Amino acid sequence: MFRRFIAVLVITLLLTLPVFAGEALNFASTQMVPAAEQIFAKSVLLKGFADESGINVEFIPMEYPDLFTRLSAEVFAQKVTISLVGELHGGLDLMNTKVLLDDLSGITLPNRTFIKALEDYSVLAGKKVYVPWMQATYVMAVNKKAFQYLPAGLKVEDVTGASEKWTYDALLNWSKNLNDALKGPKLGFPMGPKGLWHRFLHGYIYPSFTGYQAAAFDSLRAVKLWEYLKELRPYMHPSSSVWESMDEPLLKEEVLIAWDHTARVKNAVIEKPEDFAIVPSPRGPQGRGYITVAVGLAIPVGAPQKDNAVKLIDYLTSPDIQVKMLENIGFFPTIKEAEGVIPEGALKILATGVLSQSGSPDSVIAMIPSLGAKGGEFSAAYRDAFTKIVIEGADTETTIISIADKLRAIFKEIGVPLL
Amino acid sequence: MISFSQREKKWIPYLLFLPALIYLAGFIGYPLVKTLQLAFISEKGKVGIENFITLSQDSTFWKALKNTLYLLIAIVPLQVILAFLLALFVDGRFKGYMTVLYIICIPLALSDVSAALMSYNIFTSHGFLNKFLMKFGFIDVPIYFFGLGLSSRAFWVIVLTELWRATPLVFVILLASLQVISKDYFEAADVFGFSSWQKFFHITLPLTMPSLQSALLIRTLFSFQIFGVVWLLSGRDIPILAGEVYYQQAELSNFRLAATYGFIIALICIIISWAYITLLKTKHLEV
Repeated sequence: MFRRFIAVLVITLLLTLPVFAGEALNFASTQMVPAAEQIFAKSVLLKGFADESGINVEFIPMEYPDLFTRLSAEVFAQKVTISLVGELHGGLDLMNTKVLLDDLSGITLPNRTFIKALEDYSVLAGKKVYVPWMQATYVMAVNKKAFQYLPAGLKVEDVTGASEKWTYDALLNWSKNLNDALKGPKLGFPMGPKGLWHRFLHGYIYPSFTGYQAAAFDSLRAVKLWEYLKELRPYMHPSSSVWESMDEPLLKEEVLIAWDHTARVKNAVIEKPEDFAIVPSPRGPQGRGYITVAVGLAIPVGAPQKDNAVKLIDYLTSPDIQVKMLENIGFFPTIKEAEGVIPEGALKILATGVLSQSGSPDSVIAMIPSLGAKGGEFSAAYRDAFTKIVIEGADTETTIISIADKLRAIFKEIGVPLL
Repeated sequence: MISFSQREKKWIPYLLFLPALIYLAGFIGYPLVKTLQLAFISEKGKVGIENFITLSQDSTFWKALKNTLYLLIAIVPLQVILAFLLALFVDGRFKGYMTVLYIICIPLALSDVSAALMSYNIFTSHGFLNKFLMKFGFIDVPIYFFGLGLSSRAFWVIVLTELWRATPLVFVILLASLQVISKDYFEAADVFGFSSWQKFFHITLPLTMPSLQSALLIRTLFSFQIFGVVWLLSGRDIPILAGEVYYQQAELSNFRLAATYGFIIALICIIISWAYITLLKTKHLEV
């Protein structure tokens, strides 16, 4: 009996030893949440850091509302357990307004040249809120077969090089040609419940047609935008409404032109780099609207392992790791030193498209607004407008006027200027 | 051997179910109370029915209620009839009936998400069905079974998927009920010259009524929980009550409206359960 007791005791001790081996650094992130990305984060990215520095990291993937609630509660109770936060610019901006984040201006990261625009964005009201970690955008992925059906006057170079001819009208004519030639719609968008269709509406087509994301939601220019979408609707693949990412429909050739986040078309390009081109989004009457997604690393006020968190930031912004993240999750580097390390192939194709878009002179850059928990309502407003006007045939002017009121109320409630 | 006094023995049953009671109170009772609280407190902290008024003014709520009821009406009767027919068929105990039984029960092992994904791969424009029809020259261009503006077609794909996925549950309940009916009744019926229909209506149906009631109740209540299949095959093209709970909670972070949706689902389920239990009460269980 005594022997059995000793054996149970020894096994229990062995099993619980790692718990007492040293407290891990809690890294809460709203990025790298999908299962495959979590595996990469835990077993490649952070394991490498642990091997290199001897610091164990507990990766905590979270949705933004949960992270915000938890961090607010921890800071309020002065019992902070999270030492590092990985979040989008907008979310960090909101956390900063609630005084949840430390000032990082004292941190020096040697041999790093951050892209100036991103570095500027990370300083909010004179406070260095975060270190730019990675960036992404949304682009159009084109199966090269589609180039055979370009409308008259539009060349491949116009599309890939973001020329003035690469417009939303050109996209409409191109989609029509594809539909007629291939007996079915070949243009796709991620309109499923978890898809990012709302980003296209508020960050791409709205700025391209009206110059703003929300400020001119019910303007006359916006009416033209909705008329355009009604015209484009027959050439959108019906299954768009269930697609959450466009890599699969592209690979299966269900669509030949698709718009989505770079991370969500990456697999198609990696699998068949010869078949696809990544091209900038088209331009509208007010310019070429597109979103730049900046992801930052921030340290909460009262973080228990601030020094180790700085070491982790240093590691995560090193050139090799930045390229590894591009390879695995499709987010682009934020430091210039990484540009020369990107290998030829699929990643170069992606990077070319992204750079062509961000380098276009008619850019109308849109940042995702920092609306916190109201972000969902903001996105839903655009999706609802599309469903009501384009799918259900509701009156455009009445619908956009009523939705514009809701949008203004959201911005007013959060205290963010209307974009 | 531990011995207990008479007084202690009186408390043992209560002590034994105390852990379960604590668990239920903590993990079901408390959230339930909080949900009720959320549903009846407005955004400004006022107690009342403001959240219910907000929902009643939202066209999506009425669409979700209508779609949920339509799904219930389309799925449950078909499922019960199909399950009854299959159960009667398998109860014939023909050669190889066990194999048929296993095949029918396969979907029981599938989650709703797996079933929806299989259905998606069959019915999508590049799916098995379209490829088959195109290969054999029945159609030139693919048929779109779901997607933008095709919610009525998607509705029937959802019904079909749910029928395939959830009928085995009803089938198992009914088969178990059929298998315990004593053969003596049927032998007696033969002596009196009952036809097959008479045997079904006067013996089989009355004796399976309690199980039928349970099956109907379970399936009806489960119909209010249908979520994964609808979400994957139609997104929010076909809004349903359970989907709106998730949407309000996870996408819009509107906990009050999510709780209000949840309360309404619970209320409807309670009313339906009461109706089933009252209306389908069996009167001839004891002879």
